[in-house]
Amino acid sequence: MGVVRHLTRRAVFLAVTFVIAIYVTVVIANGFGRIDAILKAQIYQDLKQQYARNPAFNRLPPEEQARQFNITYNATVEAQGLNEPFLPKTVRYTVSALLLNLGRATQLHSSDGSPAVSAIIFERLPRSLVLFTVANVVAAVVGIWLGLWMARKALSPFDRGMTVLSVTTFVVPPWVYGILFILVFGFGLKVAPSGGLTSVPPPPPAPLLAAFPPLIAVGLAVAGYLANKHLRTKYRAIGYGVMAAGAAVLVAWVLTPYDYFKDMEWHMVLPAAAVAFSVFGSWSYTTRNLVLQVMDEDFVFAARARGLKERDVLSKYVLRAASPPIVTSLALTLAAAWTGAIITETVFNYPGLGELFFEAISLQDAPVVIGLTTVYALLLVVTVFLLDLTYSLLDPRIKALRR
Amino acid sequence: MLGFLILLAVLVPIFAPYNVVQSWNDPGAWTNNPKLAAPEWSEVFTGKHLPRTALMPYNGEPGGFDKVRISFNVSNQVYTTVVLRSSFSFQADAFPSEIKMFMTTVFGNVTGTQIKVFWGRPDGQEIHIFDANPSVRAPYENTFSLTGPTIKDPSYAVYNSIRDWLILKNVTSETEWDALFPRIGGIYQNPPKAQTMLMGKLDHSILDPQTSEVLKGNYSFRIEFNGFTATDDANARAVVYGTVFGLAGTDFEGRDLLVALLWGAPVALAFGIAGALASVLIQTILGAISGWYGGLIDEFVQRTADFYLIIPTLPILILLGILYHLGIVLILIVLVVFGIVGATTKVVRSIVLQVKEEQFIEAARSYGASRGRILFRYILPRVMPYTFALIALTVPAFIFLEASLSFLGLGDPMLPTWGHILGDAYGQSALFASRAFPNGMWWWVFFPAAGIIFTTVAFALLGYAFDKVLNPRLREQ
Repeated sequence: MGVVRHLTRRAVFLAVTFVIAIYVTVVIANGFGRIDAILKAQIYQDLKQQYARNPAFNRLPPEEQARQFNITYNATVEAQGLNEPFLPKTVRYTVSALLLNLGRATQLHSSDGSPAVSAIIFERLPRSLVLFTVANVVAAVVGIWLGLWMARKALSPFDRGMTVLSVTTFVVPPWVYGILFILVFGFGLKVAPSGGLTSVPPPPPAPLLAAFPPLIAVGLAVAGYLANKHLRTKYRAIGYGVMAAGAAVLVAWVLTPYDYFKDMEWHMVLPAAAVAFSVFGSWSYTTRNLVLQVMDEDFVFAARARGLKERDVLSKYVLRAASPPIVTSLALTLAAAWTGAIITETVFNYPGLGELFFEAISLQDAPVVIGLTTVYALLLVVTVFLLDLTYSLLDPRIKALRR
Repeated sequence: MLGFLILLAVLVPIFAPYNVVQSWNDPGAWTNNPKLAAPEWSEVFTGKHLPRTALMPYNGEPGGFDKVRISFNVSNQVYTTVVLRSSFSFQADAFPSEIKMFMTTVFGNVTGTQIKVFWGRPDGQEIHIFDANPSVRAPYENTFSLTGPTIKDPSYAVYNSIRDWLILKNVTSETEWDALFPRIGGIYQNPPKAQTMLMGKLDHSILDPQTSEVLKGNYSFRIEFNGFTATDDANARAVVYGTVFGLAGTDFEGRDLLVALLWGAPVALAFGIAGALASVLIQTILGAISGWYGGLIDEFVQRTADFYLIIPTLPILILLGILYHLGIVLILIVLVVFGIVGATTKVVRSIVLQVKEEQFIEAARSYGASRGRILFRYILPRVMPYTFALIALTVPAFIFLEASLSFLGLGDPMLPTWGHILGDAYGQSALFASRAFPNGMWWWVFFPAAGIIFTTVAFALLGYAFDKVLNPRLREQ
């Protein structure tokens, strides 16, 4: 029952964290009660001016004027809920934020004109999710592969060079690379579009299915490769067939006319490259160091002594044992990448959540800012929980408890 | 790398005094610089000799305008005429970005005080470009743009003068001009580019800015001022703005970006080091306390650390920035508060758990040292070396947090930090290709970005070097 208990504990902890984080956001976004005072003063000012222009009101005796003014003022304040004490109010706001009841934006609206914060956010959520998932998966695969290679050739010039490269690239956030990539690849070499979601004007629309062929191609190639690793030599044709099918899908996709989704994917290349470039270093550096530590262990020595191929020793014994710490040490790096999206997307003018955040800040649209912070917190918590889940599946010790 | 940075950080405040930074926010201080000019050396890429800025100062200053003033009296009416002349040699292969003239004038309460401006060309042509009336008295300057697009400027007069001149020289006809540059209610809908005509070779190609060729040689200004009192006087200066400037170019207000780039280094270093020192030391002490005392304190510190790692820090910081418009010191304090516990706490705790079992701690305990004394006199000194590496590795994080906030316009509004410049540049569309700047305004974003990367990479390498020395596992492999 180890796994379940562990996961439950983590889930409870993460849920509590989430609630507190949202509460903090709500309190800050309402300026520790200052915003209410500002709104009240504004209502007072507006009413004063309104009455000053009213000749009928001015003819009344002063006591009657004051009485009427107070009635209207109190009613307006009451109607906007400004008399509610600050503490219960923040609690109410927090509860509605937790229920994803995000309210209406004051300035922004979604592309079909809806001012509902949830509509605005969910319109852009898939774009950010796709961009950052692709970038992080690419970075993880490249990083782990490089890390393994560096560990195998430890202390060689290749290892030293790549270590320095990894250490120096991962301290710089993606948006700074974004700026350089736009200058070099967008303007200098003109190999990729420098920003935006699509070209202007966008190419002809296509069915949603048209977005998937590259994913299917990569999936088939990986499936074929993995199948071949477990198949005997004479059945390897199956794997090669699957890989060929993947290649065929890719070729067919390339040959179809340039449509909306191709354009979108093409515009994602530079931002994804910038994110991947700033993330891969932490994967490769961590993998290298952990793999080197595990390589000294006795069971690796035993595996070598049994005459296994160095490749198998690395992938089946070393990486397996090193993976849980790799996953933990990177869990939070990855989760933090979500918030880094704010400036990266702004730099690339990519209309995802980050760019929305930037717009909401510029327009001082508080409900959108609160809603986005809620979604970010939720994404962080979900990412961390998924990583916990992966961790518990990877860690043989926790698995052993289950058996 | 780090040595260079520290040298820069020490030298810049000595050689560039702080009032340079204060004048950064004063748009009047930068009127002699071209706006949005690329660095001078960028002409290597274009293969053309690009124009520098030519200054023609006031009469009385070295190299200034020549001035002749006559005042005479005809039948009880005083007439004062001032003639100002200056010339400059123009040898570049491209047109200047702007031509402006500034005049200080002294005149009485008589209407009709007039300024006439003539533009002399190397081919002997002289164009009477515009007449104007001075609007402000000395010491304030009347500004006249010879190329500006605003209606307030006399440039419409400039366009009409050019039109009349070109028609007179049979280069174009009235109908062709009106077809090329249509006017509605006297306002040019697509105004001609005055400098390509004032300084182009006199043939049909002069009409199109793309084909107009630069006529090299000596150009001259002749300004006539006619006033009606005995005290009337005038003085003038002119600036022919280039398209390149200095080592790092200029921004949209004509500010020299080199100043901001150089000042960015000490600001970034001070901010990064102060923030990293404060947050890592606090985290170290908390981590040590957590590992040494154990029990409930340990549990509390560790859960808080987990919590801090999960909350979305940047969005919350941005919220704070919007609501309170923090200065750089307050930003630093807020960032440190948000980094009281974190990854370092966990690392230090694990080290302390190992150190705890060593014999010298037992020895200290056996002679009756208190728990606090052991923590501060025995354990912390053992842990400190590891924190050096962590401090070096945390500096980049603080530099980037400041840069991120400044980029979003939430940093210190007065200081020209690297992030602030990047934010300005983004706000002025420096990252978008336009017809005027097909490569974006690359100098405006490249140098600050490179400065940030240079600094943070220096600290990352320092941290890595520390790590290698202190982490025996890494060293032996």
